Amino acid sequence: MGTSRLTSAKENSPVAQDAWVLDVLEPDQLVGAKKEHYPRARLGPGTRILMWAMRAYVIFMLVVVGYQVWVTVRAS
Amino acid sequence: MSALSPVAAVTTEDLHRAADRRRVHWLRSRNSRLLLLLTLIGPGILVMLGENDAPSMLSYAATGAQFGASFFLPFIVLTFAMAYVVQEMTVRLGTVTHRGHAELIFDRFGPFWGWFAVGDLTLGNFLTLVTEFIGVRAGLGFFGVPPVVSVALALVVVILFSVTSRYWTWERLTLGFAIFNLIFIPVALLAHADWSAVGHAFLSWGPLPGGFTANTLLILVADIGATVTPWMLFFQQSAVSDKGMTAADIKHGRFDTAIGALLAALAGCAAVIATIPLFVHHISAAKLQAAQFAQALEPYIGHFAAALFALGIFEAGMVAIITISSSSAYAFGEVTRTAHSLNRPVREGWPFYVVLALIAVVAGTLVLIPGAPLEYIVLIVNVVAVLAMPPALIFLYLLCRDPEVVGDETTSPLQNVLISAVVVFLTGSGLLFAVTILFPHLLPTS
Repeated sequence: MGTSRLTSAKENSPVAQDAWVLDVLEPDQLVGAKKEHYPRARLGPGTRILMWAMRAYVIFMLVVVGYQVWVTVRAS
Repeated sequence: MSALSPVAAVTTEDLHRAADRRRVHWLRSRNSRLLLLLTLIGPGILVMLGENDAPSMLSYAATGAQFGASFFLPFIVLTFAMAYVVQEMTVRLGTVTHRGHAELIFDRFGPFWGWFAVGDLTLGNFLTLVTEFIGVRAGLGFFGVPPVVSVALALVVVILFSVTSRYWTWERLTLGFAIFNLIFIPVALLAHADWSAVGHAFLSWGPLPGGFTANTLLILVADIGATVTPWMLFFQQSAVSDKGMTAADIKHGRFDTAIGALLAALAGCAAVIATIPLFVHHISAAKLQAAQFAQALEPYIGHFAAALFALGIFEAGMVAIITISSSSAYAFGEVTRTAHSLNRPVREGWPFYVVLALIAVVAGTLVLIPGAPLEYIVLIVNVVAVLAMPPALIFLYLLCRDPEVVGDETTSPLQNVLISAVVVFLTGSGLLFAVTILFPHLLPTS
């Protein structure tokens, strides 16, 4: 779409093909670049408390859901 | 981001994505606004219409049958407005970082939360998929299609769409399917509803038959809690990233999400209006399930409209199966650091496609097993979604406020207030819903 025959011919070469890909995509869109990861977040005291609150919430909810499943299975 | 060798870095996935991006660049250079918009829409519409899944459409149908043209019509529009506020954040995260939600949680908050997010998402998605297959089975059952054929057909569609190995093709095929969610609009028109009552409901946010009881509160909380579900966050961010959208496309991503919310709200309201004849004729919808709504409606809206309703339930389940199974595969690949793209050829990214197909096949098979505890699964699915929602929303909120992640696209102070309110509201509603499910006798029902 919108490309000339000359461009298409150039793109037949593997190196040229890669070149246009690098032109079109942002560097961190490449699969190779995605192997690099964001560093761990530096959490402030408030966020740390929030994280621990969420851990407690998850554990509490897992116990409650597990108990409810057990009660229902026993009743059926 | 790195000093990678450019030639070695290019893969088939990159080539496919670059081809899509070249089309976007070309349209932008020609100032073809409409074509550019049509090219960039997709994830937002899919996620919103995907959320209008079989259980949701049946819930809207039950609301129409129980309350008629009421407070719930404008309320549905409000819930999708809240869904827009949440999903807009995934657009910013996906376009700026080019990473999926699970990947960012894993990177920024560590393996515990990364694995928790994927584990809970997978379980929730699996249980939701079971309910979608029930919808597919029931929708086609109206036409006499045997359950095994319905499930097999759905699985063939999911697998065929995915193995195109091109995100673009997959997205367009699924969009073609999803747009049939609007099939509820002709059904609503054929229901011969009292349109002045419908208009009055939208303008006055009423009436609320029976008044505001504990039962009404439960319905409200259930609707709010079910408006934004975890798979939506994971799916849209992964799809935006897989599509190759960049920060330059955020405006289009927002528009895509807004269109999706509008279409989904339209279809939801249409499903409510379609079942108003049951309310008018005092037909109890309490025991109606799936295609039984179509059968119950048939004497009042005719066979053709009832058939459209059943097709709508089939379609709603079908689109949700496609999108939800994809969200599981995306999240699995993101956390295990393996291929996670619909642009990846099957031979290269086979674990991604295996997860995508496997979760759908197992859920579909479960629906066919005689005596399987399907009713209990329908109950538990909401609890699991509620379990995952508060952490998912809070991580989304934190990531969007993090300049190391979103750069200049952090939320503005006004957005912050709006988003905070929605996150607190959704989280609170979800928790209340969990309490009502786990302890059903805690609140009086009248």
